[in-house]
Amino acid sequence: MRNTILFYLAAVGCLTGISQAEVPGVIAIRNTRIHTATGPPIQGGTVLVRDGLIEAVGANVAIPADAWVIDGNSLTVYPGLIDALSRWGIPGAPSGAAGAGGRTPSLDAPSPLADPSPGPVPILGPAPAAPPARGPEDRPSNSSWVRAQDLVRATDRSIAAARSAGFTTSVTYPASGIFAGQGAVINLAGDKPGQMVVAAPAGQYHSLTVRSFSSFPGSLMGVIAYIRQVYLDADHYQAALKAYQANPRGSRRPAYDRALEGVLESPRMLLPATRAVEIDRMIRFAAELKRKAVLYGGHESYRAADLLKKTSTPILIDLRWPERPRESDPERRDSLRTLELREKAPGSPAALAKAGVAFAFYSGGLERPADVRAAVRKAITAGLSEEQALRALTLAAAEIYGVGDRIGSIEPGKIANLVITGGSLFDESTKVKFVLIDGVKYDPAPESTPPTSSRTEAIQ
Amino acid sequence: MNLFLSLLIAACGLLAQDVVIRNATIHPITGPQLTGSVVIKDGVIAEIGAKVVAPKGAKLVEAKGLHLYPGMIDSATVVGLTEISSVRETQDATELGDFNPQLRTIVAINPASEHIPVARSNGITSVITQPGGGVIGGQMALIHMDGWTWEEMAVSPAVALHLRFPLMSGGGGRRFGGGQGQQTSFAETRRRYEEQVQKLSQFLEESRRYQKAKAAAPKGFKIDLKFEAMIPVLERKTPVMMTAVRERAIKDAVEFAAKENIRIVLAQVREPGQALADIKAKAIPVILPGTHASPLEEDDAYDSQFTLPSELFKAGITFAFGTFDSSAVRNLPYQVASAVAFGLPREEALKAVTINAARIWGVEDKLGSIEKGKWADLILTDGDPLETTTQIRQMFIKGREVNLDNKHTQLYKKYLNRP
Repeated sequence: MRNTILFYLAAVGCLTGISQAEVPGVIAIRNTRIHTATGPPIQGGTVLVRDGLIEAVGANVAIPADAWVIDGNSLTVYPGLIDALSRWGIPGAPSGAAGAGGRTPSLDAPSPLADPSPGPVPILGPAPAAPPARGPEDRPSNSSWVRAQDLVRATDRSIAAARSAGFTTSVTYPASGIFAGQGAVINLAGDKPGQMVVAAPAGQYHSLTVRSFSSFPGSLMGVIAYIRQVYLDADHYQAALKAYQANPRGSRRPAYDRALEGVLESPRMLLPATRAVEIDRMIRFAAELKRKAVLYGGHESYRAADLLKKTSTPILIDLRWPERPRESDPERRDSLRTLELREKAPGSPAALAKAGVAFAFYSGGLERPADVRAAVRKAITAGLSEEQALRALTLAAAEIYGVGDRIGSIEPGKIANLVITGGSLFDESTKVKFVLIDGVKYDPAPESTPPTSSRTEAIQ
Repeated sequence: MNLFLSLLIAACGLLAQDVVIRNATIHPITGPQLTGSVVIKDGVIAEIGAKVVAPKGAKLVEAKGLHLYPGMIDSATVVGLTEISSVRETQDATELGDFNPQLRTIVAINPASEHIPVARSNGITSVITQPGGGVIGGQMALIHMDGWTWEEMAVSPAVALHLRFPLMSGGGGRRFGGGQGQQTSFAETRRRYEEQVQKLSQFLEESRRYQKAKAAAPKGFKIDLKFEAMIPVLERKTPVMMTAVRERAIKDAVEFAAKENIRIVLAQVREPGQALADIKAKAIPVILPGTHASPLEEDDAYDSQFTLPSELFKAGITFAFGTFDSSAVRNLPYQVASAVAFGLPREEALKAVTINAARIWGVEDKLGSIEKGKWADLILTDGDPLETTTQIRQMFIKGREVNLDNKHTQLYKKYLNRP
């Protein structure tokens, strides 16, 4: 009887695919090649993981008796990869993540709030059609208070796909909008969303999208003016609240504004900037608003590396490099500008590394492990070193989000997020053998064609 | 006084008084320049020469130091159909539905349009009006820029059929922050295009069946105006003006015309590319749009629209110009002039807005040059009519002297006198 129950539990565990290792305990990967992301690679070293944290790493690590030992002779250990900007873990969203300024069709997907049918927020119910906005006071395209960690589901199928690509962590943001909401750094495994959260909020995700020409904002200048007004309002709101709390009696109470609350909660702005002119514009904008900003997109950042360095602005680089759409008109003539960007975009990371700019990679909707690796390889071919590439996929992302003390490298005391491969991460043929997330081992799903690529969805 | 003058002019118009224009520098367009006189009798050019016999009672116009040209023709406009494009009530060019060959733009023309006298004062004596909507929008009309009613204005009331050939073009707009919006796949675009072309072919096939049935004259034959209007097209008597801007559209249009055995005139050609050879080989005339336009692609040469007319000329293609507008008709000569600055011989530029247009529209026996027997559509100028500084001193349409006063001159005078 008891055995039967265990059997069923095991069966259920296999089906859900999340409990193959309910025994975290101690894991030692020995005699292996280790890329720590902070120093030179260690040959024949050992990584010791205990209770979800890295306990020790090095050439001479004593393996305790209670450790489950994995012989890493043919393996290479890397810090778990971090997708610095994605939608992974939020159901309803296409598994493709956010793209620069809305280049990928997936970004145009309505916010889970606007269309709650498959979404995770049944409390709100279907929102009645809002009247067209007339100005910033109507807070159009604004869900700044929405938190990614509240939308994440542990069972979302994008999570397993990301793990198979070697990602252990993603900085996940709610769907698009001018104020899309707050992101969260999440580990890509867990039984409950609460266990997945590493740090939150990560920042306020902005897109500069005009949704309708019959409603404010209907132009780029309107979008910018709108964001500016909301941040000004937020500063005033904060001051008014403080004044009121100091002296409630005899003063009028400030009206509660969830849109401003959301803005005030966010530690940084995420601003789209693909072209050099947009990078320049967004740096000035953030400086004007006196906000910390992280730019995303960055395909033309090879032309703006010095500016980014001078202003110490970090930038997230979209790994979905610009390319001619597969379904496009064969007689279409692309402009020189477009062709130049396609040619030079993968050289941006090398230029940024050379200038000493803080940059990290994000998957931009690439889903198949092969695609992610091919995209990184393009940047390496264009001059980025493998160490820099690894950093951009791990520690750099963690540092940009202020969690470099927890994740992003293989150092004692950090969260045991590791990806273990059969060779160099940047080789085409290398397979991800397994990942450790919070010290728990997960095997990759058998690689097959992706369930649905965002492109086919776009066609339908 | 004004009333009296108007009545007098009207009376002159009706009587079509004979006129002798003396001592002018005459530019016949179809022949060498000469200095001499032109005799207008019953609205028609009766005599040209250094020495002419003035008919009895003819009005004498002394033109020493002035130039005489044929009036200019704008080969595609919406004059009289669209007064102010943003005011719905003043638009009468567009009907609903895909196939409306029975529509006659001539009957919709407003003879009192303010654009008519304005265009006249820059030397335009005739225009083609084209309908707006649908695939087959209706019948185009060649009209004189003078007359109390459309009947008086009509030169050729059904000069061509207007066909907007289906266009293969993808969707996808630009978005801020770089990148493109959602694209329609090319396969889908092509499917839609082929569907539209198929519908058009079907319509032509039905028209042919109608033509055949009518020829057999069965008892109780039912007249259908749509198909009725297609018969002159199928008989190749009336040409079809097809809008085709870029190379692929032009090739498609030319191929379609060959397959359906119809006569075509290509309109709004802006980027013919390799299709120039097809146009030349099949001797298809072209109506070019104004040259004052940006290049179609951002990497095109800045002067690609200025040099296009001279390219067509070098390729040996017959072409005329259209402004495809109502208020911009007045700029026709200057649009053409820019082509001269970019390689088109001056005489060819003048031909494009006179005799070539008349030939394309099959009215070269009446319009387009100063020749004996042609209608006296003449402009008397103090210089080259393609120059902005040149003034049109007098204009004759079918021999009648036309009032050159217009809204622009009225406003000019009004504000000139402002204290």
